[in-house]
Order: sequence, then structure tokens, then C-alpha cells
Amino acid sequence: MTGRRLWLASVSHYRRHPLQLVALLLILVLATALWSGVWDLTRQARQSLQQGTGLLEGLQEIRRQDGAPVTVADFVTLRRAGVCVLPWLEVTPASGQGRVIGIDPLSLGCFAEGGQSGLPQRMQGGPFEDIGRAIESSPNTPATAGFRLMAPTAVTDLPSGYRNVPAEPRLATGELADSFLLNLDALCVLVLLITGLLIRSIYLLGLSQRRASTQLLTRFGVPARRLHRMRLVELAVISLLGAVPGTVLGLLMAQVFAQGFGRVLSGLFDVTLVGNAITWMACLPIPVMIGLVLAWCSFDGREDDTGRRRRGDRGRLAAVILLLGIVGLILANTLVLVFAALALVFLGVGLLTPALLARGLDAAARHTAKPLRLWSVRELSVMIRRLGLPVVALQFAAATVIAIQALVGTFETTFYEWLDQRLQGDVYLELREPADLPRVEGALSGLESVAQRYTVQRDRAELTQPQPVSVDLLALPSDSSLLHHWTFLSAVSDPWSQLDRGQVMVNEQLARRLGLATGDRLSYRIAGQAYQATVAAVYADYGRPSGELLVAASSLPAAFRSAFTSVTVALAEGATPADLRAALADALPGVGLELRDTASVRGLATRIFEQTFLLTRAISMLTLVLAGVSLLVLGWVFFGTRRWYFHLLRVWGVGRRALRWRISGLSVAVTLMACLAALPLGVLLTWVLVARINPLAFGWSLPMAVYPLFWLQLVVVAGVIGLIIAWLIQRRLDERPPEPVTVGQLQGAER
Amino acid sequence: MRWLIGALVAMCLAGCEPGEEAPQGFAGLGQSFDPQSAGVDFAQPGPGDHIELPRDLGPHPRYRIEWWYLTANLTTADGDPLGLQWTQFRQGLKPHAPDAKTPPPESWPLQSVWMAHAAVSRPNDHHFSERLARGGIGHAGATASPFSVWLDDWSLTASEDGDWQLHVKTDDWGYDLTLSQRGDAVRHGDQGFSAKSASGEGSMYFSYVDLTIRGTVTVNGETLDVQGSGWFDREWSSQFLRSDQQGWDWMALQLESGERIMAFRLREDEGAFLAGTWISAFGEVVPLSGDDFTLQPLEQATFDTGTVPSRWRLTIPSRDVDIEVDTMAGNFWNTGLYPYWESPVRVSGSHSGRGYLELTGYAE
Repeated sequence: MTGRRLWLASVSHYRRHPLQLVALLLILVLATALWSGVWDLTRQARQSLQQGTGLLEGLQEIRRQDGAPVTVADFVTLRRAGVCVLPWLEVTPASGQGRVIGIDPLSLGCFAEGGQSGLPQRMQGGPFEDIGRAIESSPNTPATAGFRLMAPTAVTDLPSGYRNVPAEPRLATGELADSFLLNLDALCVLVLLITGLLIRSIYLLGLSQRRASTQLLTRFGVPARRLHRMRLVELAVISLLGAVPGTVLGLLMAQVFAQGFGRVLSGLFDVTLVGNAITWMACLPIPVMIGLVLAWCSFDGREDDTGRRRRGDRGRLAAVILLLGIVGLILANTLVLVFAALALVFLGVGLLTPALLARGLDAAARHTAKPLRLWSVRELSVMIRRLGLPVVALQFAAATVIAIQALVGTFETTFYEWLDQRLQGDVYLELREPADLPRVEGALSGLESVAQRYTVQRDRAELTQPQPVSVDLLALPSDSSLLHHWTFLSAVSDPWSQLDRGQVMVNEQLARRLGLATGDRLSYRIAGQAYQATVAAVYADYGRPSGELLVAASSLPAAFRSAFTSVTVALAEGATPADLRAALADALPGVGLELRDTASVRGLATRIFEQTFLLTRAISMLTLVLAGVSLLVLGWVFFGTRRWYFHLLRVWGVGRRALRWRISGLSVAVTLMACLAALPLGVLLTWVLVARINPLAFGWSLPMAVYPLFWLQLVVVAGVIGLIIAWLIQRRLDERPPEPVTVGQLQGAER
Repeated sequence: MRWLIGALVAMCLAGCEPGEEAPQGFAGLGQSFDPQSAGVDFAQPGPGDHIELPRDLGPHPRYRIEWWYLTANLTTADGDPLGLQWTQFRQGLKPHAPDAKTPPPESWPLQSVWMAHAAVSRPNDHHFSERLARGGIGHAGATASPFSVWLDDWSLTASEDGDWQLHVKTDDWGYDLTLSQRGDAVRHGDQGFSAKSASGEGSMYFSYVDLTIRGTVTVNGETLDVQGSGWFDREWSSQFLRSDQQGWDWMALQLESGERIMAFRLREDEGAFLAGTWISAFGEVVPLSGDDFTLQPLEQATFDTGTVPSRWRLTIPSRDVDIEVDTMAGNFWNTGLYPYWESPVRVSGSHSGRGYLELTGYAE
């Protein structure tokens, strides 16, 4: 037989079963697109992250001894004293496109002399811009906010009034941002795992259907090894046909998502997503996908035989793996270990589920007297065994969707509650120049439209105990009734009064990082003045990773200069934000004020948080669609092989209508069982996400919640998939009577 | 006379696009400007302009380019020769109208760029350093009264007793010198307007040609007591060279007879433009045109950076001057943004003496 004819004979299978080829390609395209898209985004983000932290590597920051923010005058003083310093201004341009670092390129020369010869090169392009342009691009940012002075090395003979500190990102978020990206990558690995299961199951079915033609070819003298090689080539071609458009689609997807994703990264982790060119790295998903498919599918035959012989052993092994995974989930203290443990749990569950379900059905069959019901239960047991892989894939996909929905749902509820608590009042006034605060407060106190108000001041503080770390500082008045609705994660009684007595509050991120709890002592410095205080409360602070210290505004030292100041105003009955705006324009001409109503702030915050989970939700939904479609295809193919038995039922006198019900019952039962088996796994995964992964990835935890209504929706979806399978089968049953096909044939036994 | 070197580079640092037209003449000094374009209004000096002191020791923001320039021929306590250079340049990027409001330093304006050069030269031993800064924030600048020019911690400043203090420090070397003036300022050309081409390009230019200098120079780990004489130039313009002038050969010589000579040759596509000044031992100032003197290279020296004429013959027949000007042994290329040659020289022939030679436009 010529090579060409042999190829035609081999691939004619797909001419007979075009849907199978379409299903394989569809799964490959979607899975590769999803993976390569997310992979490209996380790769860009990692590069940006590395660039962000790498730029500061080895640099020293020069600060004022008195804690006041440095200014241009300090830069000039230091340069004229012979100190090599570089102005460094981080701003977010009004265009909203990432963060920009403004530097003075003309001052860079001495960095090469000062042992940072690579720095001028590092500062070509990327987030760097001339400092004057950076200021022009962000007209609303006060020029003092985010302004720093960098030196190439620690300066030993600094003029008095200045000191060196190692330069650190404003928010030390490297680890957290990395964890966030790891989270996304892990989700994609889960998608790949599910894809692998689906492809393998479709390929296995295809292989079974081709058993007869393969045996025929062998009898014609084609060596088995050659046939095996041909199958590998065929698989490689199919993978290539799916992976190439998938990768292109993924890169397009990454471009579409990049802006939103960049905004999320910048909002959550202070990381500017630096767009990068498509390199060969972006094409890596293609060979990986091909390799994965080849390895996974060529492994099939042997695995199947040995697996059958050792089914009992495998069950015990699966139980051990599951147990190990669960123990790992409880004990693991790093994200990587949690993911490893989770992988073990998935493996164990994947191996156990079909066997347990089938065993349960067999047990049920033993207690069933009615022949037809007995047949149905036995048939279901066979189906669950034979459709093990797609059932497990659907189970995993459904569990992922359940867990992510729970995570996002819980987050939304908690976040909105927290936002309501934080966004007291009706109007939010942001001062462009914090020094204008006395004038603004004076004006507000004389306005009738203002019912209540409180001032928010922000800057940085330095903890000295329990460990030296720079944190955000939030100063609030302890006596504002607008603030007393706050709920705390933990607090002493009447924490606001305690704050007034010199105690402090810390956010959850700081508490977790430093192991702080209410009642603990800590020491800190604000504007050069040292304090010691007890933690009166720990409060939730979602959506940003930095540690924060909350102190009473009355305790701030005289030298304190706020880097950010706002006033929250509750309007009097009948007054509108527009009234306040007009009144302030009259009372404070020339004072830079940004007036926003809290509803728009809430809208903005909500948009940012929705974008945070947009990608996560998209991944999980697409996974569910993949799994659903695959189950549909496989169910249809598999039910097709059982048509002979269904036909026999008709012969034995079961009415057409009754048979339809029975078939519908069977297919719905298969999908429902997969879905129900997903519930406990979904709940477990929810717990892992909120209680284990989230604190490690974001720095804050969420309360555990389950959403049975969503489970019900998922069960309905599973039921609908089952009904569609049944409808397709019934259509085929009405066609010409099928030939008998044995289970043995499907398993590859000799005909 | 000198360049303006880094300004164009500085402009590029500040964001001009690659592919923009290459600067014309050495360091872009031949770059033409149109006073009317885009509201630009840089002033251009011309015949009839005059120099007023001490005002003109200070900056001239209405002009595009200017510099303060000092060279010195010093001797160490051991009698070894030591040459020294300090120059500070300003390049205006935007013209500054006299009544215009100065932008606040907090906005980091980029209206001018400053550059400082410093060098110490001994036989076979040359040290050079370059600094850049933006104007308008105090990082670099100049004032006429009290006289002060500074960039970082490098500065030339008048002290209360009228002497000037020059301080330069790099990681490896530096100097601290006291400069005392002897004699009045010499106004070159036509009452200070020094023509640089037959078609009228030129600059305002005056010099203190006889400074007494003493102080210390730290080099190669040694701090040396030095003393000697120096030459200080002040020059400003908006268009310095014609676009076809590739560079110049300039020398300032202090003869033992008490006479002082400044002579330059601007190399053009065809021929050269020559001008100079002869100053008698009693302070009489005589402008020299190309017909009054000859300036010929006698010998070339080749280095990695480029080949330069290292020995010259200068004749001024009307003053009985026929001298050879010779560099000392060594490589005296200042390899900054725009490389140029700057070396101490010895004078022999009809007169003996010493001075400084500056050669631009020879870098390969």
C-alpha cells in the first residue's frame, strides 16, 4: 500500500466523524487561546514587575532628617554640596496609561561615576520620562507627592539634615503581585489539565472507533509501529492546526485585556504594565500544546491495559493521593505548596470519582428488582466508567466555576459593605495643596449646606518595632460620628476612644505581615517623631496590598506634612453637591479643590474591582463551556455506540415514548452526576481560594460563603446538556437500526 | 571662543526624536535659527553692540549660547608644568523675554541646559570631566554681581576681597584655586563684537588675559601646590558659526615680553576665516584681521579620537612676531559629548612664552 493511500485510509476516520475533528480542533483552539492569552499577560506583568523593582536595585534614597518631603530645593542643596542625587517622580498621567517615572536625564552623569554605570542605560525609555514632561502629563498631582531623591550608593558625607535609606518601591508589593500572577497561571494550568482530559477522551473514543480499520491495515501488512508513528504525526498536525490559531487568538485576547489588566495591576500592586513586543516566547504555547497532546494521547493504550488490571490498586492509590493533598492544603504555607497540594487533590478526585460513582451504581443495582430499572442503573454504571474522563473534566470545570463564583460573590458582598462603611457622607473634597487645609476647614465650618465632615490625611510612617518597615499612614479624627459605623476584624471595646488616647489601628495586610493582633505594642515614627502605641483594632482594607497604620489626627506632630488630604462631607438636608461646589467656589477662590460625590467614587472603585475578576471569570466560564461542549460531543458519540442496546429495548416491547424518557433520564443522570460530584470539590476549592490562596496572593482574607442558588443554576445547565445529548441520540435512533457494538470493541479488544 | 557642545545632546536627552536633522558645524554651532519662527526671539549680536561690566559677566538669557572659560599655565612647587581648564556653557532652548515670568522650579522647566568641563593636563597625563544640568532650578547658573558661576559643586565665585575662587572636584582629581585679575577686560573685535565669518556671524567676546593664579591641584592621589597665570574668556551669541564652518583652531598666548595674542582660524569649505587680537605689554588692544597675520599647521599628531595639528607657525609681520606654537607630549583630547582638543602649549621663535591651544572639528 502506498504511503499516500495509507494516509488517506488512516485519516478517513475524520471524514466519517467530522464532528470529532471539529471538537478536537475547537478544544485545542480555545484552550491554547486561553492559556497563551493569560500567559502573555502574566509574562508582561512579570517583566514590568521585574523592571519596577529592578530599577531601584542598589539605589539609595536620600531623605530629610525632619521627615518632611524632599523638594527641588533639597535636590539643589545636595547637588551643590557635591552629592550625586537624581530627582525621581512617580506620577500617573492624566491619560491613565500606566505609571511614569520622571527623572532629570541631565543629572544622570554622576551615576556612572558612582558605581551605577548601568543605570543610565536602564533609564532609556520604558516608564522613564523627563521629569518636566511627567509633571505636565499629570496636572492634578501635587508636585511634592511621589517626589524622591535617589543616590547611586550610600553617601557617607551627607550634609546635615539628610539621611540615606535603601530605595524601595513605594509599595513593597513584589511578592503579592507575583502571587496574584501565579494565581492566574495556576488557573490556566487547571484549564490545560481539563483540556488534556477532554482531548484524551475524544482521542480515545476515536481510537476505539478506528480499531477495526487499524486491524484491517495490520492484516494488509502495515507494521503496527508504522501505524503508531502515523497516529503521532496525525496528532501533531491536529495539535498544530489548533495551537497556531489558538495562540494568535490568545495574543489578540491579551491585547484586548491588556489595558484593563494593566489598570488592575497598577491599582492593586502599583505595577505599571509595560507593553512589550511579541517575541518567540509568545509562541511557546504552540510546541508545549503539541507536546502535551502527543504525550497525553500516545500514553493511552498501555495505561488503559495496566489500569484495568490494577483497578483496585489504583483506587487505593487515589485515596492516598487525595488524603495527602488535603493534608497538604491544611499545612502548606506558600502559594506554590498550596497549588501542589491542590493538584494532588484534583488527581485523587479525578481517579476516584468515576470508580466511586460506578461502584455506587452497582451497589444500587443489587437492590433493584425491576428489570428495566436494573438495566438503567447498570447502563449508567457502564457509561460513567466509559465516559470517566469527560465526566471528570466536567466535574473539574464545574468545581472551578463554583469556587470562582463563590470567591467573586463573597468578595463583591464584602467589598460593597466595606465601601459603604468607608464612603460615609455625600461629597468628597480632595485638596490639591494639603497646606490649604485650614482655609478649607474654615470655609466648610461656615457653610449651612455642611451637616458633618471629617478630614483624611495620608502620608508615610516608619515602623521601628516589631520590625523596621515603611507603611502608609492614615490620620483620621477619632471623634467623628461618621466613622463610628466601621466594623473591625478585631478590636478592643470602643476602639475610637482608644485611638483618641494614643492607640493605633492597623489594616489587615499589616497585621498579617507582621503578625500583629489587638493589644500588641508597636513603635513608629511620623515626621521624625517617635511614638509607642498599642493596637486597638485591625480593619479590613481591600484592594491594595500595602500595610497601613491609622492614627488619630490629633496625635500628629507639628512637623507632619500631609502628602494627600481630603475632606468627607455629609450634606445638610436638602443640600446638593452642586450647592456645595458653588458655595466653595465663592468662599475659596483660587484654592485647588477636587469635588466628587461619593456615588462616583463608589462607581470608580466598583469598576476597578470588576476588572480585577473579569479575567478570572472569563477563564472559568470558558472552561465550563469547553467541558460542556466536549461532554456533549463525547456523550453523543458514546450513546451512539449504545444504540444497539436501546434498539433491543424497543424489540423487547418498550414503547418509543418510554424509551425516549429512559434515554433522556440516562444522559441527564450522567451530566447531573458529574455536576453533583463537582459540588464537594467546588466547596473545597472555594475554601482553598478564600482561606488559603487569597491571603497569600492578596494579603487579605474573605469570609467563606457558599451560593446554593448558583449550584442550582449549574445543575440546570448540566441537565440541559444531558437533554441535548438525549435529543441528539433519539434523532439517530430514528434512523436505520444500528449494528451491535460491544464494549470490548470500544476498549480495543480483538474483534 | 568655544562651542556649545552638549546643548544639542541635552535637547535630545530631553526628548527630540531620532532622525532629526544632524547639527551643523562643530557641536551644532553652525545651526541657523530664524528669530521669527514659532515666536522664537533669540537676540543676535552685531557690530555696534557693546560690553558693559560687571553686567556682562552674568548670563544672557536672550541669547542662545554663551560660556565662561578659563585656561591656566601653572607650575608645581617642583617646577613641573601643569595646564588647567574650566569651562561652563549655557544653551537656551527657549528664548527668555526680559519681562517673561520665570516658571517655578517645582515644574522642572527645561528652558536652558548647562554644561561644565574641567581638565588637568601634564606631559602624558590628561584628566577630563564633564557635568550637565538643567537651568531654572538652581542646579546650575550664573550671577554677575556678586560674580558666580556654578554647576553642582563646581564653581567660580568672587570672594569679598575681589579675587575669584575656582573649585572643581571629581572622584579622582580636582583643584582649588585663587584667581587675581591684573589689567582690564580686553574687548575683542569691534568693541567686543567678534566677527566669525565674512557674512556677519559672530559673538560678543571679552577676556581677562592676565590672571595670577595660586592654589592646589589634586591629581593621581597627590595634592600639589601650584601657581602661574591664566586667561579668562566670556562669549555669547545666538548664531556662532556659519553652517559651512567645520571647526576652529584657537590659541591664547602669554609671551614673556608681556605681550598677549589671541588668534583663531575657522575652517570653511573653501579656505578659512582668520581673526585675532594683539595686546601690548602696556594693555594696548589691536584687532587682527586675516590680512594681518598667518597661521599654519606644521605637524600632525594622530590619536584614536582623531588627527590634530600639534605644531603651528604664527606670524604677525607688523609686530615682528614669528613664532612656533608646540603642544607638550601627550593626548589632550577632551572626550566628552563632543570631543575636542585642549592643550597647554609652549611658544618659541621670535618670542617665547606659553599658552593654550583649542582645536575642534577633528574628531573622527
